[in-house]
Amino acid sequence: MTRGTAIYAARRLVLVLGTAFLVSSVTFLVIHALPGTPFTCERNPAGCAHENLVYGLDDPLFIQYRTFMWNLVHGNLGYSYVNQGVQVTPLLLEEAKNSLILGVFALVVTIVVGLIIGVTAAVRQNSWADYALSTFVVVGYSVPSFVLATFLLILVGILLPTWGGSIGWGSAEQIPIPAIALGLPFAAIVARLVRASMLDVIRQDYVRTAWAKGLSSRVVIIRHALRNALIPVVTIGGPLVTGIITGSVVIETIFGIPGLGKEFVTSILIRDYGIVVGLYTFYAVLVGLANLAVDLIYPVLDPRISYA
Amino acid sequence: MTTITTGLNMGGPIAPPGTPGTVDYSIAPEQVSLWQDAWRRFRRNKLSIAGMVVFLVVVVVAVISIFWTPYSIYAQGLGDVTDPLSLKHPFGLDSSGRDVLSYIMKGAQIVIEIGLLTAVITSVVGVTAGLLAGFFRGWVDTLISGITYIGYGIPALLIAFLILFVTNKPSILNVIIALSVTNWMDMARLTRGQTLALREREFVEAARATGTKDFTIMARHVLPNALGPIIVQATFLIPQAILFEAFLSFLGFGLPSPDPSWGAMVADGLNDRFLAYHTMIVPSLALLITLMAVNFIGDGLRDALDPRLKR
Amino acid sequence: MPAILEVKGLKTQFIVRGGIVRAVDGIDFRVNRGETVGIVGESGSGKSMTALSILRLVPEPGKIVEGSITFDGRDVLAMNDDQMRKFRGNDVSMIFQDPMSSLNPVLKVGYQIEEAMRAHDRFTREEAKARVPLLLRRVRIPDPERRANEYPHQFSGGMRQRAMIAMGLSNEPDVLIADEPTTALDVTVQAQILEQLRDLNRELGTAIVLITHNMAVVANICTWVVVMYAGRVVEQGPTEEIFRSPQHPYTWSLLRSIPRIDEKLGGKLLTITGMPPDLTNLPPGCKFHPRCRFTVDRCFTEEPELVSVGPQHQSRCWVQMDNVADPDSDRREAPVVFEAENAAV
Repeated sequence: MTRGTAIYAARRLVLVLGTAFLVSSVTFLVIHALPGTPFTCERNPAGCAHENLVYGLDDPLFIQYRTFMWNLVHGNLGYSYVNQGVQVTPLLLEEAKNSLILGVFALVVTIVVGLIIGVTAAVRQNSWADYALSTFVVVGYSVPSFVLATFLLILVGILLPTWGGSIGWGSAEQIPIPAIALGLPFAAIVARLVRASMLDVIRQDYVRTAWAKGLSSRVVIIRHALRNALIPVVTIGGPLVTGIITGSVVIETIFGIPGLGKEFVTSILIRDYGIVVGLYTFYAVLVGLANLAVDLIYPVLDPRISYA
Repeated sequence: MTTITTGLNMGGPIAPPGTPGTVDYSIAPEQVSLWQDAWRRFRRNKLSIAGMVVFLVVVVVAVISIFWTPYSIYAQGLGDVTDPLSLKHPFGLDSSGRDVLSYIMKGAQIVIEIGLLTAVITSVVGVTAGLLAGFFRGWVDTLISGITYIGYGIPALLIAFLILFVTNKPSILNVIIALSVTNWMDMARLTRGQTLALREREFVEAARATGTKDFTIMARHVLPNALGPIIVQATFLIPQAILFEAFLSFLGFGLPSPDPSWGAMVADGLNDRFLAYHTMIVPSLALLITLMAVNFIGDGLRDALDPRLKR
Repeated sequence: MPAILEVKGLKTQFIVRGGIVRAVDGIDFRVNRGETVGIVGESGSGKSMTALSILRLVPEPGKIVEGSITFDGRDVLAMNDDQMRKFRGNDVSMIFQDPMSSLNPVLKVGYQIEEAMRAHDRFTREEAKARVPLLLRRVRIPDPERRANEYPHQFSGGMRQRAMIAMGLSNEPDVLIADEPTTALDVTVQAQILEQLRDLNRELGTAIVLITHNMAVVANICTWVVVMYAGRVVEQGPTEEIFRSPQHPYTWSLLRSIPRIDEKLGGKLLTITGMPPDLTNLPPGCKFHPRCRFTVDRCFTEEPELVSVGPQHQSRCWVQMDNVADPDSDRREAPVVFEAENAAV
């Protein structure tokens, strides 16, 4: 890593933290400025007052905000409003682990499937393989991931009853199906991009030079064409990670995976303000870091680019 | 002995004006405007035409459903979910005994409303923002670009959820607002890029030199030339919005029950999957076909409007 | 001396929506060992396609439809994929016009040269790696060890072309085809590159086929000239002969239009009128007649054959140039006669 890149990374990190602060502030203020406290006071006036005290909801807004920020800086994202005493930060970290596993596997599916399909379609342009794959690709990104998930569930339930029958998260065999459901639509988008980029690159002069040198097909396509074709594909790396995070919300819900996505849906449904604010902050950091990681890949792929 | 070399590049032969004796055997190609050419190319793309047909069918169904559906969507108990498909109920019944076909039709209405309205609102807001940012630059640009940059780093679904959480009242309007707020930034970025490139062109300079007002320049000169990619992006906004809404209603954040949204139908169908499959398959297929259709249209438009592809 | 490369009746065509583009329409020429041959023509004359056809690198939708290409007695068009792979970059090498786009931007220059050698099993990895700086030094790139570790965008234009030459010669091919190697470069650099090619031809005995639209470049280093127009050979012969006594009006016009440093200032710059022909819609008769100032009736209807107009000199024209007066000049004299430098051979 060059010095320039390190400085760039540092700058971006500051930006990520800043965005996280902004997001958490906005979320906090928006939620707490709402009329009506989080706790329904009609049913239990006495207990309600107690809870308001515990959570400091009687204090003026800016004091609440100050407390919140103070906690935030110390890494404390607050407490759950529904399940008392549960701290947000360790809860989210635990769930983040599960989401991370799911997300990484989904990413692997996306990249591997997307590359293979994209390269094959490009190399055999206009053959029946190309048309078949391209059709598959359009279906792929038109399918909502929850539709795909439900179909996979049923399919596996019929074909392999012992395997997919159990929805949940406890053994390794429960990873592939949600990972495929999550990653396949994005694989389609990646495949399309890779194909277009490869078609462009194959016509370039340096590929012609590679052929003229007597290099084998495999070397020309992989070492010369694909390496260059990947550069524009990396640009969707950011939106791709964001999309996988978004998609995991649905996939985790369907498959009952205890991750950030499922937590997100649950806490919004039951209106657990504490977790919601913490989640948004968490997500902001996560997405920011992911985008930064993608941007740092660029100079590795393309030596013409440097963050000087 | 003289050497014939000065290293001068000869280039191709250039005929001085008024040179006689040139016999031209080629025929000049027919001149067409960009839009005519694009329409021609679009017409040739069978998938796009198929997509348009399907989309029109959905629109027709949606319009019909405003006035009439075979059964009211509030009518329950018309039969059992395990009843086979019949002429009376071509798509069967759901677990509450409601007619699936009627639901699908109403769902089409939601899809079209949300899809088109979101695309239109997002485009209007986004294009305006992008034009202003790209044309005037300065603090306007910094402000708008700053917002889009921050918005870029946050998943749109989360922002939409926040809005829905806050408003706490599911309705079509809220969903549209939530979607538009998150999506205008992409459109703004695209338009801004186009504007930045176009404002350096000579015809803009010429317009300025003749004293044309800024807004007129933007509207009459810059915008029409930037329209190509904008239209393509707007077209792809429709399936994005539909998908979004399906996600939301699948998770239970859509309209209140009975929610005819196809996403909600898939969720219900999932619950009923041990009883029957059709309650899940029908809305899934409806979503899939509609989304594919609009994606085909978008692809066709993009290929047709791509200036790099020759006729 | 036996020919190392022989092309006979080569036809390469593209089928496009407007018709058939006859990029190469029946050409014959040969390259002897150690010879330098120049192929001259304007854009669209088919000279680049000829070169690509020799290496069977014609891009889709083009195809070689007729003819034969013989290298050292072997039939190139009959080679299978594996044989072609061994042939390219090894028996015959090719370098291209724009060295910036012809080198892979994400790979180091040294690596790309090393790769060319490794592809043909003539050197081990260590040997190939060690050879790279030697090759770069031979094409006079300073500080070759450091340069080998750099990327193409860190080289200047002339250096990139030298690196391409080094790469092309790394396997000591019998023939090096250079497709407009100087067109994308500065004037001063052009001269250096040509000198480089000439020196390498002398030192290594590699035959060079130089493709260009610039007659001056040809005069510099080629001993044999092939002039192409509309996919056909319209004239070929020894350089000295062609320059001294061009027999085809096209060649004549090309030579005529080179400005001369010893001419009076203020004289007209002569050009060739008209446009290159539409290859899907070629005119009847001689393909050059729409732009020719020496036409007779026959030119409009019948295409001439290549006839011998000197001991090794051929031309494809109905008109005997020696008998024609220059319509541009007030003085009635024979077409301009050039004197060539002897040492150019």
